Amino acid sequence: MGGSASLDAMKVHLKAVRRTYGMVAALDGVTAGFEAGTLTAIMGPSGSGKSTLLHCAAGLDRPTEGTVIVDGTDLGTLNEHGLTVLRRERIGFVFQAFNLVSALTAEQNVALPLRLAGRPAAPASVRQALAEVGLADRAGHRPNGLSGGEQQRVAIARALITRPAVVFADEPTGQLDSETSRQVLGMLRGLVDDHGQTMIVVTHDPVTASYADRVIFLEDGRIVDELSGALTAETVAARMAGSC
Amino acid sequence: MLSFATVRERWHSFAGGFVVLFLGMALVSMSVLALASARPRVPDRLAGAPVFVSAPRAERAEGSFAPDRPWSPETVTSLLGRLSAIPGVAQAVPERTFYAQPILDGRPVPSERGYAWSTAMLAPYRLIAGTAPRNGEVVVDRSLGLAPGTRVSVLTAPGPVTYTVSGTVDGPGVFLDDAEAASLSAGVRAIGLVVEPGANVAAIAKSATVISAATEEISATTEDKAGTPSEGSVSGQEPAFAGSPTADATMPPTSVTPSQKVGDVLTGDDRSVLESRDDERTRWIGMQVLTGMFVLSALVSVLVVGSTFAVGVAQRRREFGLLRAVGATPRQVRAMVYGEALVVGVAATAAGVAAGALLAPMLGGVLVDVGFEPAGFTVGLSLLPLAGSFAGGVVLTLVAVWSASRRAARVSPLEALREADVDNRPMPRLRWITGLALCALGVASAVSSDSEGAFVMSGLVAAVGVIAGLALLSPVVVPPVARLASWPFTRGRGAVGMLVRENARSSVRRTAATATPVLVTVGCAVLITGMVQTTAAGFAAVRATTIRANAVIVPDGTPGLTDASGGDSSLFSAVFEANGDPLSVLGATPELLEKAGDTSGPLDVLRPDDRILLADWLAEERGLRPGAVLPVSFEDGTSARLTVAGTVENADADALVSRDLLRRHDPAVLADEAYVVGAAADPGPGARVVDVATYAAEADAEEDRLVWIATLLLVVVSTAYAAVAIVNTMVMSAAGRGRDLEVLRLSGATPRQVRGTVAAESGLVVLLGAGLGLVVALPALFGIRGAFAEAMNAEVPLVIPWPFIGGLIAVCLVLAAGSAVLAATTKVGH
Ligand SMILES: Nc1ncnc2c1ncn2[C@@H]1O[C@H](COP(=O)(O)OP(=O)(O)OP(=O)(O)O)[C@@H](O)[C@H]1O
Ligand SMILES: [Mg+2]
Repeated sequence: MGGSASLDAMKVHLKAVRRTYGMVAALDGVTAGFEAGTLTAIMGPSGSGKSTLLHCAAGLDRPTEGTVIVDGTDLGTLNEHGLTVLRRERIGFVFQAFNLVSALTAEQNVALPLRLAGRPAAPASVRQALAEVGLADRAGHRPNGLSGGEQQRVAIARALITRPAVVFADEPTGQLDSETSRQVLGMLRGLVDDHGQTMIVVTHDPVTASYADRVIFLEDGRIVDELSGALTAETVAARMAGSC
Repeated sequence: MLSFATVRERWHSFAGGFVVLFLGMALVSMSVLALASARPRVPDRLAGAPVFVSAPRAERAEGSFAPDRPWSPETVTSLLGRLSAIPGVAQAVPERTFYAQPILDGRPVPSERGYAWSTAMLAPYRLIAGTAPRNGEVVVDRSLGLAPGTRVSVLTAPGPVTYTVSGTVDGPGVFLDDAEAASLSAGVRAIGLVVEPGANVAAIAKSATVISAATEEISATTEDKAGTPSEGSVSGQEPAFAGSPTADATMPPTSVTPSQKVGDVLTGDDRSVLESRDDERTRWIGMQVLTGMFVLSALVSVLVVGSTFAVGVAQRRREFGLLRAVGATPRQVRAMVYGEALVVGVAATAAGVAAGALLAPMLGGVLVDVGFEPAGFTVGLSLLPLAGSFAGGVVLTLVAVWSASRRAARVSPLEALREADVDNRPMPRLRWITGLALCALGVASAVSSDSEGAFVMSGLVAAVGVIAGLALLSPVVVPPVARLASWPFTRGRGAVGMLVRENARSSVRRTAATATPVLVTVGCAVLITGMVQTTAAGFAAVRATTIRANAVIVPDGTPGLTDASGGDSSLFSAVFEANGDPLSVLGATPELLEKAGDTSGPLDVLRPDDRILLADWLAEERGLRPGAVLPVSFEDGTSARLTVAGTVENADADALVSRDLLRRHDPAVLADEAYVVGAAADPGPGARVVDVATYAAEADAEEDRLVWIATLLLVVVSTAYAAVAIVNTMVMSAAGRGRDLEVLRLSGATPRQVRGTVAAESGLVVLLGAGLGLVVALPALFGIRGAFAEAMNAEVPLVIPWPFIGGLIAVCLVLAAGSAVLAATTKVGH
C-alpha cells in the first residue's frame, strides 16, 4: 500500500493510527499513504471506520495513537489553533449533509474559509469557483433555496476555494440521484486530472469508487484490501462481494 | 458579516434575548432617569425670595428625617431686625406654616397647609380678589370656589375654627394674619429676604452671611438666659449629651455649646433644602424603590439574556461545528457569538432606552400617585443617564453572553457531522459546585436559625439559597421529579400520556429551562409576599392585644387629629438637647398610656409640668438618674429645664413629658389616634370612630401599602422576566423539535393529538416548577412565622395571598402552553 512511492510524493500519511471510543476501536492500527494528484476511494461496510479514518486524516479528530502527516506537517504537533489554521489553508472538506451555514448565501458560504483566514475574497474568484461547479447563476441564494445536489456543489466550491493540498469527502454523492452524482464525480475527477488535486473520498457506491485511481477496503478498523489500476464499477462490486 | 447575517436569519433564537434586554433596559433607563430627576426642589411657595437664612442643619444619619432645632423667639426677633436693615432688603419674612384644613360640605379638602399672610410675599402668588386677612379672617386658594365674605370652617390643631373669607389667591393653602398664624405654628427655621427691585442679591447674601455668623453671642446669651444659669446641676452626670442616637460622634463633649453659626444663608438652588421633611422622606423611599428596580432589572436581564444565549448556542452546535470544520478558530467562533450579542444588545438597548425615555414622564406621575415621590416631581430627560443606560446595557449583554461564548468556542468540528443533536451533555462542574454550595448554605441557614431577631434574615437566606441552588441544579433535579410527577400519565392507555412523560424526561434542557424560571418566580413570590403579609398581620395582632379601649378615633381625610376630636391621645414630637440633637418625645397622660401599648414606669409623674421620663436605654446610655436636670428646647424654639423623674420601659419615644407641656411648646403637632373608653362621642369632621380590631388592622396601613406596592412591583417585574424566558424556551425549542413533531404526525397522530401532547407537556413542566417553588418557600415561611410569633409573643397567622400566587402560576401555564402550541402549529402547519 503505497510503500513503493517516496515519502515526499505523499500528501497524506497515516502511521499506525488507532482511534478508540471507550472499548470500541474504530480504527485499529491503520497505516496508509495518499499520493499527490490521485483520487483514492475508501470503502467498507457500515461501522468499519471509514468516517473515522477521514476525520483523523483531515485533522477534524485526533487519533488515540499513531501519527498523521498532512502536506509535510505532523498534526500531532499542532494545538487547536494551529490545527484549525492548517485545516482552512491546506484541507478542503465535503460532508454528506449539513454542509452550509444557513444564514449565508451560496457566494458567502464559498467565501467563508477565505474570510475566516483573513484573506481577501475577490468576488471574481468566488464567482469563478461557483461557475466551475455550474452554479454561477445561484450565487445569491440561501441554502434553503437550493436543492441537495446544488448544496453539495456549493460545498465543493467552498472546499476548493483555498486551493487546498488535499480535499476530503465523506459520501459526497450519498444524497444525490445518479445523474447528479455523475456530474459531481466527473467534476472531481477533472480537478484531479487537470489541476493535480489530491482527493480522498469515502463511499459505499461502486460507481463512485470506479472514478478513483485506487480503492482501499476497510473492515473493523483495519485495511483489508486495495485495488488500483483501471477500475470499473463491476470490478469494485465484485471485490466487495468477495470480501463480504 | 456572519454575526449580522446570523441574527437576521435566526431572529427567533434572538427574539427572547431582545425582548428581555428591551424590557430590562426600558426599566433601567426609566429608573435612572427618575433617580437623576429626584433632586430636592425649591418649594414653589418660597420661590419669590432670592435669599433665605435657615437654622443650621444638623448632620443626620442616612434615612433619619428628624427635624432641626428651630431658632428661639429672641433669636428670630434679633435676626429679623438685623436682616431687614440690610440695604436692598424690602422685608425679612419668617417662614411660618401650620396645619389648617378647610371643611367644605362636611369633608376636609385635600390641601392641609396654612401660612402666615406675610409669607405669601415669599411665593409668586397674587391676591386675586378681596383683601389681606385680619384677625378672624382667612385668605384661601381660589380653586376652593369660596367668594370673599363667605364663612368657612377650618380645622386647626386646637380644633375647628370658623373664619370669614377676606380674599382669594392663585396658589394652594390657607393664609391667616401673622399674629394668629404665629399662635398655631412651631418655631421659625427659615427667614426669607424679599428684596427691592434691582437690588444686588449677591451683596445681600454676603451681608446676611456676616449677620448669621455674628449673631452668635446674642443667641448664645439668650439660650443661656433661658437654659443654663449654671452647670452645677448637671455636673453630677456625665458631662455631655453628645451620644444621642443620631449624634455626630465627633461632637466635643464640652457642655452647652451652641453650633458655630446661627444660620445658613441659602440662595439659588441651595434653597431646595427648605423643602419639607415629608417630601425629603418620600423621595428617600422613592430612591430605595427605584434603586431596587434598577438593580433587579439589570440583574435579571443578565441572567435571562445569558440563559437565552446559552440555549441558542446549545441548539446551534452543529452550525458552530461546521464553522470550526471549515476553518474557524475557537477564538473566531467566540468573537462571532459576541458579535451576535453586540448586534442584539445594541439594537435592544437602543430601543429599550428610547422607550424608557418616552415612558419616563409617565413613570413620574405614577410615582407621585403611589407615594414614592413628592407632589411636583417630574422626570426630566437628560443625556447622561440615557447614555449611561445605553453603555451599561451593551456591557451587560456582553457580560451575559460570556459563558455561552465559551461553550460555543469549545464545540468540536466533528459536531457538524452528528446525525441528531442528542440532549444529554453533562452539566458543567462549576454549576454543580455552585448549585450544591447554595443549597448547603440555605439548609445550614435554616438549621442554625435560632438567634433572636435574625430569624427573618436566616429564613430568607435559607429559602433564597435553596431556590437559587435548585435553579442551578435543575438539569439534574428536574428529570427525576418529572418522572415522579408524570406517573399518573402512564395510567391511561393513550399515546399522549406516554409521549408527554417521555418527552418531559428526555429533553432535559427544555424541561429544566422551562421549570427553572417558574420555580424561581413562584418560590420568591410566595416567600416575599407571604412574608410581607404575615409580618403585617403579626404586627396588627400584637397591636390588638395591647390596646385597652372600646374604640379608637382615627383621622379621616386629615393628616391627624385635632385636640377637639375627643378621646385620650398622645402627641409625638421632638425636643432638642443643648447641642441641637433631637430626641423624639411623646406628650402623654398616664390615662392614655394605660390604654395603649405596654409602656411601664412611674407614669403618674407625667401630671406635673416640668418632669421628663426617659426611655430606659437612653437613661442608661447617658447615666442620667432621677433628679438630674435636662435642659431642652422645644419645637417652638423656647427652652426649659426638665427634671428627670424616672425611666420607662417599652416607650415609643426617647422620652415622655406631659401632654399639656408638649402642646404648649408645640402648637402645630397633631395626634395620630385617640382612645375611647365607653361610648364614643361624635369626633366631628376629619375623624371617625372605629373598633379596636379595625384600628389594629388599619394602623400602619399607609406604610403597609407602600411596602406592598414595592413588593408587587418586584414580583411583577420578575414574573415578566420569567414569562419571557418561558415563551423564549418554547419558541426556540419548537425550532429544534420540528422534526420530532413531523415524525409524530407521520406515525399517525392527529394535529389535535400533537397539540395536546405539546400543551400537556409544557403544562406539566410549569406545574412542576411551581410545585418545587412551593416546596421550598412554604417551609421557610412556616419557619419565619414561628420565629416571629415567638419573638412577638403573640399568635401570628400565616398569610399568603393565594389568589395572587394562583394568578401568577396561571399566567405561566397559559404562556407556556399557548406559546408551545402556537410554535408547534406553525411547525406542523398543514
Ligand atoms: N463519537 C463516537 N462515539 C462512540 N463510538 C463511535 C463514535 N463515532 C464512531 N463510533 C464507532 O466507531 C465505529 C466506526 O464508525 P465510523 O463512523 O467510522 O463508521 P463508518 O465506516 O463511517 O460507517 P458508515 O458507513 O455507517 O458511515 C463504529 O462502530 C461506531 O459505532
Ligand atoms: Mg460514515
